[in-house]
Amino acid sequence: MSMDFTEFKRLLGADPRSRDPEFRRARASSPEFEKAAAEADRFEDVLARAVSVPVPEGLLDDVRSIPRRHSAAATERRWWPMAMAAALLVAVGAAGVTWKMNPSWDSVEDYVSDHYRHDGADVLALADGQVAGEVQALLAEFDVEALPALADIIGVIKYCPTPDGRGVHMVLNSERGPITVIYMPDTPVADRERIAFDDREAMLVGLKSGSAAIIGTPAQQISDLHALVQASLVPLPRRS
Amino acid sequence: MNSDDDRQARFDELAGAYGADLYRFAMWICGDDALAKDLVQETYLRAWKALDKLQDTGAAKSWLITILRREYARTFERKVPKFTDIDTVVVPEDGELEPDDRADLDILRRSILGLAPKYREPLLMQVILGYSCEEISDELGVSKSAVMTQLFRAREQLKAKLQKDGVTGNVHGLY
Repeated sequence: MSMDFTEFKRLLGADPRSRDPEFRRARASSPEFEKAAAEADRFEDVLARAVSVPVPEGLLDDVRSIPRRHSAAATERRWWPMAMAAALLVAVGAAGVTWKMNPSWDSVEDYVSDHYRHDGADVLALADGQVAGEVQALLAEFDVEALPALADIIGVIKYCPTPDGRGVHMVLNSERGPITVIYMPDTPVADRERIAFDDREAMLVGLKSGSAAIIGTPAQQISDLHALVQASLVPLPRRS
Repeated sequence: MNSDDDRQARFDELAGAYGADLYRFAMWICGDDALAKDLVQETYLRAWKALDKLQDTGAAKSWLITILRREYARTFERKVPKFTDIDTVVVPEDGELEPDDRADLDILRRSILGLAPKYREPLLMQVILGYSCEEISDELGVSKSAVMTQLFRAREQLKAKLQKDGVTGNVHGLY
């Protein structure tokens, strides 16, 4: 029994390139079927053209380089903890272990100075600008993201303790040299409060979600980065 | 050729054979050029890590699409993609077309992005990836008859939109 026109139109709309023998026969079975098939073919041509957007230049080269980049990153990941451990041992010895095991501070000011003394200088030295792919993934765990103006200059990013749980320790590769930023997801601060310790100064930043501390030398004029950090470390958009 | 070279060669083959279609598919399901590029790169990174699990080269395309769709779902859970205006994500190579025909294609592109995901995704699998209805059914985990209904309705909605917007040129008079 041959295919009726209603069924033929249904198949044309669902699977116009179908290789089903009965469907192929039906296409040429009468002028009415032929006309409908030709119209469907023309629509498919236009549809195919509409979706055929050009592939961005360089994307496939980037894809092909994934094995090489992955291999380099894996090597870096294998060495990074050992390098950090060695640096920490030299810098702070057993006290560093105690610091991490028992993080308790009377104030945010104490935390910022204590944290920086603990590993601030060691982490600064690691800034190499090779973390672009890790920044957003790590920040997303705290439901925040770094906008490009900030993300593009983050040279180191890692977890760290804060007064109220886990946070993020970053180093910005700024024009004034490496500057530390600590993101504290659950710690309220007095916005723009300044802290001075040793040869460093810090400025606290109130954010839409959590807070941050910018730490550098007086010469680096870290207050100039307040606006950038406040505007660029923002909550992830929520699904409406 | 050692095993590393062999692995790299297999990966290069996958990139060359499916990279462009994966990008196009990703672009149309998420509507964002930057996110689409990220999705493709993340898909291939995961593919590289799991390449030894791909025994049947003939199943490579569906394997990659499955990875990409999962990654997109994961991204969507974490962050709502910013849907960009189609003008900023599509750079069509339509220079040789008449202005009316370019306008028609533009309407069609906007209409595709306006389709509900349950209609858009199977349609893109069919048109961009060349999937059969059975393959779409397998990938989406719905019956073949449901897939055919979604495809039929997707096309009907696009045609209705084109009619409503009074298209001219190549697609004029089709309906």
